[in-house]
Amino acid sequence: MTRSRLPALLAWGVVLFLFAPLVVLVVNSFNASRFGGAWEGFTWGWYEKLWAAEEVWQSLWLTLRIAVSASLASMVMGTLAAYVLHRFRSWLQNVHQVLITLPLVMPDILMGMSLLALFVLSGIETGLLTIWIAHVTFCLSFVTMVVLGRLQDFDFTLLDAARDLGATRAQAVRKVLLPLLLPGVLAGGLLAFTLSVDDYVITFFVSGPGTTTLPLRVASMMRTSRSLPVINALSTLLIASTFVIAAVSSRLQRRA
Amino acid sequence: MSARRQASSQWLLTLPSLAWLGVFFVIPALLVFVTAFRPADLQGGVGPGWTLATLDEIRDPAYLPIIWRTVWVSAATTFFCLGLALPMAFHMARAGQRQRQWLLLLVVIPFLSNFLIRIFAWKSLLHPEGPLTQTLISLHLLPENAVLLHHAGAVLLVMVYTQLPFAILPLYAAAEKFDFGLLDAARDLGARPRQAFSKVFVPGVRRGLISAGMMVFVCSLGQYVIPQMVGGVSDDMLGTKIAQRVFSDRNLPHASALAGGMMLAVLLPMLVVAVWQRIGRKEGA
Amino acid sequence: MDDFLVIDHISKSFGQQRAVDDVSLTVRQGEAFSLLGPSGCGKTTLLRMIAGFERPDSGRILVAGQDITTLPPEQRPVNTVFQNYALFPHLSVWENVAFGLRMSRRPREEIRSGVDRMLDLVRLSEHARKRPAQLSGGQRQRVAIARALVNRPQVLLLDEPLAALDLKLRQHMQMELNTIHEQVGTTFIYVTHDQGEAMSLSSRIAVLNSGRLEQVDSPASLYENPRSSFVASFIGDANFFTGVAQEFQHEGYVRVLIEGLGSPLVQSNGAVSSNQPLRLMVRPEKISLTLARPSSGERVNAFRGVVEDIAYFGSHTRYRIRAGEHCILAQLQRSRFSGGEIDPARGAEVWMSFHPDEGRVVRLEDAA
Repeated sequence: MTRSRLPALLAWGVVLFLFAPLVVLVVNSFNASRFGGAWEGFTWGWYEKLWAAEEVWQSLWLTLRIAVSASLASMVMGTLAAYVLHRFRSWLQNVHQVLITLPLVMPDILMGMSLLALFVLSGIETGLLTIWIAHVTFCLSFVTMVVLGRLQDFDFTLLDAARDLGATRAQAVRKVLLPLLLPGVLAGGLLAFTLSVDDYVITFFVSGPGTTTLPLRVASMMRTSRSLPVINALSTLLIASTFVIAAVSSRLQRRA
Repeated sequence: MSARRQASSQWLLTLPSLAWLGVFFVIPALLVFVTAFRPADLQGGVGPGWTLATLDEIRDPAYLPIIWRTVWVSAATTFFCLGLALPMAFHMARAGQRQRQWLLLLVVIPFLSNFLIRIFAWKSLLHPEGPLTQTLISLHLLPENAVLLHHAGAVLLVMVYTQLPFAILPLYAAAEKFDFGLLDAARDLGARPRQAFSKVFVPGVRRGLISAGMMVFVCSLGQYVIPQMVGGVSDDMLGTKIAQRVFSDRNLPHASALAGGMMLAVLLPMLVVAVWQRIGRKEGA
Repeated sequence: MDDFLVIDHISKSFGQQRAVDDVSLTVRQGEAFSLLGPSGCGKTTLLRMIAGFERPDSGRILVAGQDITTLPPEQRPVNTVFQNYALFPHLSVWENVAFGLRMSRRPREEIRSGVDRMLDLVRLSEHARKRPAQLSGGQRQRVAIARALVNRPQVLLLDEPLAALDLKLRQHMQMELNTIHEQVGTTFIYVTHDQGEAMSLSSRIAVLNSGRLEQVDSPASLYENPRSSFVASFIGDANFFTGVAQEFQHEGYVRVLIEGLGSPLVQSNGAVSSNQPLRLMVRPEKISLTLARPSSGERVNAFRGVVEDIAYFGSHTRYRIRAGEHCILAQLQRSRFSGGEIDPARGAEVWMSFHPDEGRVVRLEDAA
């Protein structure tokens, strides 16, 4: 049967559509022109400006601290949540399942808005802690889903086999379940990390004075045309790191 | 393990995530509705006592065109996303192992790239002095002085761009499970390729189509950054208004009332779909 | 020891479902024993109770005189070869085999020599560094056997050991398993739904049906003297006739009145009283076919019928013969239908006959 070329053409068209703007960003980060309309020669200038922009690096440091701690917390809770969701069938897990799924489909603005309502009504000052709480909340669901997917492929007779060969329940979990689950947990953690670094909308609602994360910094830079080419340079670095993280993550998922 | 020990260990292991989501997801969502009945104070918080005044305020007829715009932009975004994602998922599921992995990676990278950066990329592409506008004008496809930015079309374009991976990933997951031998069977029974696609493949990935559409539509409803950054003055969506009420007007109860309305609008259709899918599963079983 | 493994009045229910219903049996030391039955008969539950993954509701399990009913699986002198082998995918073949010895904290030198010797036994020494995913199905199974045997279990349980293999490999592994059993001398308990597998692998078979023990016997006794029609039909093919005991003859023979067929004479096979309804079983290959009425006298049971269908299998041929209400299966070796007579064609009238010693009286059950 001859296959129609149309879906393949459309698919690569979609890829082009997805990447064209990113490519333009990367190219413009080396463009001497301020607006990037036309090529006015190669320059490292915007990267030098970015290097000198201390507030950007402060924001990055803050963002990384939040992202690492939030993804660690969500990895622990998410792995546990995935395990019980997989292990038990009960009304409790039905409720649990709904609670895990809802944040995935809740628009960001509503999540930000409701967390803000919580913090205002309970009198908690917005700042580093509230951002961390918000990030753990939305990362938790994603980690749970990734680990759950991994658990569904896990052959639980392996635990029986370990017990049969003399391992206690705890030894079976430590020697068999955890090593096999680890790639999934790490992939979930990487996803959580990326989402946390990326988040703008929710963070905007729950941030306080002095807690300008990187996305918040980018947003404020976008308002002044002077710093636009510097954003190109910053974006290029971020896209490159996303590439690395995505490649590592897909390697982790594949290794079964 | 005895039944009682099993039950208590279940509770113990479920507690961390359940408690966290209870405190930081369920209670905040309920508090949005509570806040709508509290008076505003000037510092952007809530005052003492209870009031119904906010409910009267949001009955402002000025909201009607905004709600209408929010719904149709979201619907259009969903339509275009599914239209692009369907052939994409179809092709990905049929491609060889290597090409499939590459395509998946290529879809995931923009999805994982910073949201603001992706909007920023379009802003510079669509900028009056940006490459796209300039090229189109020099090809005489656009009149001189045409403006692509700050325009409802730009909002739709960027919305489709940012939401597209949300449509592709669930559809691909569904297409991967689809038995492509059914297409050969359809061709064997006299269907043309396009008929086989629309009569066999599309119904075959129905479930993925519904969840992808749901995902895109709900996420689009809540958008406010995109209309704010690439839209014009008359392209406000409901999300933009909520953000404005919080950050410009410092009126939390008003914003909460709007957010509460949106929350109901989001949850109700999802409830309907969930119930409908459960019934479908029972009939299927 | 005649009662090395003792299953003593074991019962187990899951909700309303009685998975294992008051089963008692004993297995001798060093014996190759099979638990045979269709899916859902309780054989897997029984195996999981011996291994320690399920706790029986009532009854006891003893190995070499020690009551292991309440021991957790890791403390039992029992190891299992799982149906899908359950090899640890993150460990090499060598480490898979070493797992049990590491868990019992044996000295390093003992682990090394034990694993090497075991891999040698299953001829996998050169694959020791590979991951399970890199092995073929037959090799994986040998790893699973080595991994269990290296712990020197008192009893080795094998759950559907050949089910995952294709036909050629299955025949090969059958012989291989018998060889390994001979070499190590451990008590092997197979769980299988395949009667051929059970008969070729074990010296005794326990047949289970919906949680109950039907019969425990050697393969030959199960085939020749099935006590119930379930056993008769599960092991090999059988013709069944329902009838009434009519008149007793000397030497334990009884005449059975079968409506529409006549009243053949068969061995009574235990206590049968007059006018008792019962079931008569005859194996297809015990039936002879002739074009003329056999003339060997009184002691042969003969009926007339019409050939409805013929199926040729090379080593033998099967005939479906209609005699009134009854539909009878007969199987002939190529050489049997001889004596100068031609093969019966479809639609031909033939005589079926069998010797009284070839018919069996089996328990009358509601089912089957």
